[in-house]
Amino acid sequence: MLNILLVDDDEEFTEVACHIIEFLGHDVITACSLEEAYQVLDCNDFDHIFLDFMLPDGSGLHLIDHINKLEKIPYITLITGHPLVKGMLSSLCGPKIGYIAKPLQREDLEQALSNKKTNTARNKSKSSITTKHFGCLIGESTVMKELYTMIERVATTQANVMLMGESGVGKEVVAQAIHIATNQANNSENKLVTTNCGAISKDLITSELFGHEKGAFTGAIAKKEGVFQRAGDGTLFLDEVTEMPIEMQPNLLRVLESKKVTTVGGTKEMDVNCRVISASNRSVAEIAEKKYLREDIYFRLAVFPISIPALRERKEDIPLLANTFLSELNEEYNRNYQWTAVQLKRLVDYDWPGNVRELRHTIHRAFIMSDPKNTAVELAQDFRSPFSSVTEKSHGLTAGQTIEDVEKELIKVTLEDVDGNKSLAAEMLGISTKTLYNRLHAYGEFKED
Amino acid sequence: MDSEKNSALESKNINELIHDARAPLNRISMQAELIKLVLENDMPKEKALAAADKIINSCQECSQFLEVISHK
Repeated sequence: MLNILLVDDDEEFTEVACHIIEFLGHDVITACSLEEAYQVLDCNDFDHIFLDFMLPDGSGLHLIDHINKLEKIPYITLITGHPLVKGMLSSLCGPKIGYIAKPLQREDLEQALSNKKTNTARNKSKSSITTKHFGCLIGESTVMKELYTMIERVATTQANVMLMGESGVGKEVVAQAIHIATNQANNSENKLVTTNCGAISKDLITSELFGHEKGAFTGAIAKKEGVFQRAGDGTLFLDEVTEMPIEMQPNLLRVLESKKVTTVGGTKEMDVNCRVISASNRSVAEIAEKKYLREDIYFRLAVFPISIPALRERKEDIPLLANTFLSELNEEYNRNYQWTAVQLKRLVDYDWPGNVRELRHTIHRAFIMSDPKNTAVELAQDFRSPFSSVTEKSHGLTAGQTIEDVEKELIKVTLEDVDGNKSLAAEMLGISTKTLYNRLHAYGEFKED
Repeated sequence: MDSEKNSALESKNINELIHDARAPLNRISMQAELIKLVLENDMPKEKALAAADKIINSCQECSQFLEVISHK
């Protein structure tokens, strides 16, 4: 017998669902709002929570954040009334969150409850206390908190957003977070449509973006909706937008300016109501200098530019991410691997040029290599990828350099590494602080603090 | 009251109406499941009758949504 909480504002539904759940042999309590659910959760422990995605006083996702802070974390099944949201939910559903779509049947409830993961609500582990902001973002560093604030602010507007950041920082996840936050802010369940501008051939990009009529060109055997139409009132995510051929950009500009789209071969103009989130791994300077985007289109797309920090700029989040990724793999493969403090330190010390994607890949590889008979993770001795920037950044010696140049470079690098702390730098260099000051004076680089 | 409800419905866009129509459909589905339970387990037939009445009401509600949608 399980203790179940059913959170839904449709009273007739909760009443009949209670009858059915009780018949299945479980105890059930209902709540019709987030507020009521918070109160019930304060006084009761539950094994399983059925949670409506849209509640009168906010999104069910708020309750998930609250539940993750509980001592005993129950399994959660989100109930959505909109099949279009299913894709979005399935992507944010972790190992302890599932979803079912209305209209429900008894077997939906039975299946959700018979899930082996629900039989025993597990005790809180290190990873389970990790909060996923907006259901998908992990990190408590200052730079990430700034990012969350920007997402919250922009979610209440319709402004187009351009996401910039290195490859692997999670631009698509941030786009998803903005989309989820927008749906929460508007109490809506609109759709997120994603397309990769760099992956579509030049000939097909217009058709992909704007759709085409049957017979519009050779091979157009059926009518096709473009991504602008498919996104409806929701969000259109244009990944790698700077890879779009420049000659195609005027077409996109016209749609962004006029908020109207015409399909290829069609005559009727249709309204565009979606927010466009675009992403690029090129810097603004590079975009402008090398003209990857026309200036006019840049300003249309980047009404609200967001720069996503590289993983090395938020090293304090690495243990959180590493624990979460390992925990997800443990859940999936029924293992119980744990990080050691030394391993976590090695992960934190590395610079992760491939960012979160590289970290996840490294952890997955280590997980596969680990011996299932014990709980230790086999983290490779050298897990650096061939794309690592560590080697690029290394200050190697080249023939022709003077000893003075090398010494100067070594002092500079050491000082950078210790944030300018001269005593620490001197200790690391094996010289006295006085000698370090003398050298700096000699190079003309010493300034009185 | 009905006219107030109708004008509130008419002010919604088609996606909202389709979304809202899923609520009575959900009730219909669950009430039908309850009727099956009652019949399979020899439970009091009043429960099944009450569920059937609720199904009829929800059908009317769905019909109202379809009516508004058809005029969009």
